[in-house]
Amino acid sequence: MMTTATGEVIMVPRNFKLLEELEKGEKGVGDHSVSFGLVDGDDIFMTDWNGTILGPNGTQHEGRLYTLRIHCGEEYPDRCPVVRFVSKLNMGCVDQRSGEVFRNKLPVLAQWNRNYGIEQVLVALRNEMASPSNRRLQQPSEGTEF
Amino acid sequence: MAASNLPRRIVKETQRLLAEPVPGISATPYEDNLRYFNVVITGPEQSPYEHGSFKLELFLPSDYPMAPPKVRFLTKIYHPNIDKLGRICLDILKDKWSPALQIRTVLLSIQALLSAPNPDDPLANDVAEMWKTNEAQALQTGGRGSLHGERSGDPGGTGCGQCGEHRTQREAGN
Repeated sequence: MMTTATGEVIMVPRNFKLLEELEKGEKGVGDHSVSFGLVDGDDIFMTDWNGTILGPNGTQHEGRLYTLRIHCGEEYPDRCPVVRFVSKLNMGCVDQRSGEVFRNKLPVLAQWNRNYGIEQVLVALRNEMASPSNRRLQQPSEGTEF
Repeated sequence: MAASNLPRRIVKETQRLLAEPVPGISATPYEDNLRYFNVVITGPEQSPYEHGSFKLELFLPSDYPMAPPKVRFLTKIYHPNIDKLGRICLDILKDKWSPALQIRTVLLSIQALLSAPNPDDPLANDVAEMWKTNEAQALQTGGRGSLHGERSGDPGGTGCGQCGEHRTQREAGN
């Protein structure tokens, strides 16, 4: 969402925002510590996404690659995506039964606005892994899934 | 969103699209977003898409008309210059865009692309290959695809000369 000099509020529609995100994901994001792409390359409405997060160095997650599913519903980006870890991990904002990220425990989801996207969610989760309360948490063995 | 804040050029273009629609094309802005259009293009006569009706979406970005409109097919279509997500390989939507062009000219060009696919500049390699080796069958598949939204094969990495852009279509996934 942006406001022009003439006071017009410009809203990029859901599908065009997701197309931009897809193109960004295909090119690769920053230092490649997170990545994302469509689960089904034929999905014209770009609803379900795979994400990966490379565990931050100096934490219990170092060297691990976590996979996630991100669901962008019809109301995305007005409403935040539903994010679920496929790889098992122990972290305060993650439901230990389902792997789902608790919306109210991750600021990027709790204070969601339509300028955020999948990349911001993955980066926020990676930062969360390195937070003082999470970095030393005992983790399940590598490669297990929820 | 107050229409008065919409650039005059967009207001004018919209009024003309509604008042004097192009034959076979309808473009209607959404009430809650006047830069976002619901587009329907009828398959041109004597093309494999004849009798088909194709839904598209079009968005005028903040820097329009300095930048081209964003447009893609929502109806699945079997065409060498349109990919699985409905993205269109057309030079005027990329580096050949000029602010002298309009929504109307863009939609006319897309309609023309349906009449004259360009298999030498493919975005969907499998479709282009079929077009070149067996036009009759491609025409048949084109027609079927338009009606049922079917499309076989998997376009791998493609470079597209038509829009002067080389992209790698990678199944996401990791």
